[in-house]
Amino acid sequence: MTTAADATPAVVELSGISVRFVVPTERIVSFKEYVLRRLRNQISHRELWALRGVDLDIRAGETVGLVGRNGAGKSTLLKVISRVLRPTEGRVVVRGRTAPLLELGAGFHFDLTGRENVFLNATLFGYPKSLIAEQLPAMVEFSELSEFIDMPVRNYSNGMLARLGFAVATQFRPDILILDEILAVGDAGFQQKCLARVEDFRRAGTSILLVSHDLETIASYCDRVAWLEHGKLVAVGTPEAVLEPFHEAVMSPRDAV
Amino acid sequence: MTRSQHDAEPARGAAAPEPPGPDSPAPKAPVEKIPVPKRPVLRPAVPIYDSAARPHPLVEELQELVRYRDLVLQWSRRNIQLRYKRSVLGVLWTLLEPLMLMTILALVFSNAFGDLIPDFPIYLLSGLILFDFFSRSTLQIVEEIIASQSLAERIHVPRSAFATAAIVTYLVNWLIAHLPLLGLVLFFDRPLSWAIVTILPGMVLTAMFALGIGLVVATIGAFFVDIRLTYQVLLTGWFYATPIIYSLSIVPESRHRIFALNPLLHLCELVRSPIYDGVVAAPVHWWVSLAIGFTTLAVGWAVFTHWRNAFDYRS
Repeated sequence: MTTAADATPAVVELSGISVRFVVPTERIVSFKEYVLRRLRNQISHRELWALRGVDLDIRAGETVGLVGRNGAGKSTLLKVISRVLRPTEGRVVVRGRTAPLLELGAGFHFDLTGRENVFLNATLFGYPKSLIAEQLPAMVEFSELSEFIDMPVRNYSNGMLARLGFAVATQFRPDILILDEILAVGDAGFQQKCLARVEDFRRAGTSILLVSHDLETIASYCDRVAWLEHGKLVAVGTPEAVLEPFHEAVMSPRDAV
Repeated sequence: MTRSQHDAEPARGAAAPEPPGPDSPAPKAPVEKIPVPKRPVLRPAVPIYDSAARPHPLVEELQELVRYRDLVLQWSRRNIQLRYKRSVLGVLWTLLEPLMLMTILALVFSNAFGDLIPDFPIYLLSGLILFDFFSRSTLQIVEEIIASQSLAERIHVPRSAFATAAIVTYLVNWLIAHLPLLGLVLFFDRPLSWAIVTILPGMVLTAMFALGIGLVVATIGAFFVDIRLTYQVLLTGWFYATPIIYSLSIVPESRHRIFALNPLLHLCELVRSPIYDGVVAAPVHWWVSLAIGFTTLAVGWAVFTHWRNAFDYRS
């Protein structure tokens, strides 16, 4: 896969991405308190750069692993790509549809039936209603929940909820699939099915961005690995080239990098 | 939207790498019972997101709201469904609730103001269901924006869709509440005229005003959780400041100008005159309502898209 990488266009182009957060030094949740403090001039903030000048390209069909310690900026990077956050500086270009598999069963309501929840969940991803109606049978079939689909989801097990969520989220092949840890959805048989679907996507040209703390998973799935540290990209390269030094850095004391 | 569907072909190797390539579910024998999962390609064209070409948040939110219009409808449907699933009486409740409130208020206040207002129940109910819409929809917007917080932090979705859905939900509710009101009109043998169709634009203007106010309160609510309580107190005051249980005729002439500063007074006239007096509301109320509906919505939208987004960058 990596050999063809240079020829294929980048589906995600991150250039000089920086994201700034403003962190209040003290949490003020009450309006009254805010007004009082404002009057006494006791409001203070500090800036926090979650990402600082990140450059990264992801090409079509490529699987890129993202590693870093907690708070290194991995989630923020995912949010920038899935357009939840706007970069404070820099530019992100995404060519194609992203499917974040972070929020399986988003918006599910326990009092509604499986069918009603499929419509809610899929419209949250921006699908038109007519398309959902058309694809509903296929989603239900994949989730293996046809007997339960008109039952309120409060009667579903966690595994069943995840299966339905996965079926909706992956009904359409995305151009970029964002995975936060490899999904453990349902029983072993269903997990196989999920992995097979992700593999299908990959073969059909979907790029995958995989965040994981499990370095073996990263090593076995990814063509390239990007290492984030304090919001900056430390290294990008083959799993062999990046994971070894990363592992060492993580094992050594915190201030090593 | 053009879509091509491909049945699974038994042998397809690695598909073409270019983005618009057709989707091909490759054979995965043992786990899959049914061999043909039809998975269409969802791409009229490859959508390109370029942060540099992103329009101003004010415009972008509007574009996204239009794109997610099915979410608005689906979310409103959900709200209505939940309301009915939770109560035994279901739709009947929507009809009874305002009637019951009206009856109580009519009994309490008919001695005080009832003599000045003929067929007091009609007058009262018409104003009540307007205020009911206004208070519930704006509070619902605040709730929805808080509830969708964790969702909107993880997936890209226009938050205004939830606010708009709250408005749609209670507009439907308000429309249904007109049935008992019409029943009262027939019961008291008041004349019905074609003017009642002008209630609809009056409702739309009220909805625009409510959306604007709701967005502002929700924006403040993102920063300060106690805004809801403050707003509820404000709503109670607002209710008594609006001629709903009384008419302006009991207010000294000199104070009418102060009362006229209340947008709800004008909006209330738009929806009450047609059913109570059988005439279209006076033009002055229409002009004021038009100006207020559009201005409030525009201001609310600007405040929401600017400050609500800013909130995401706090942590």
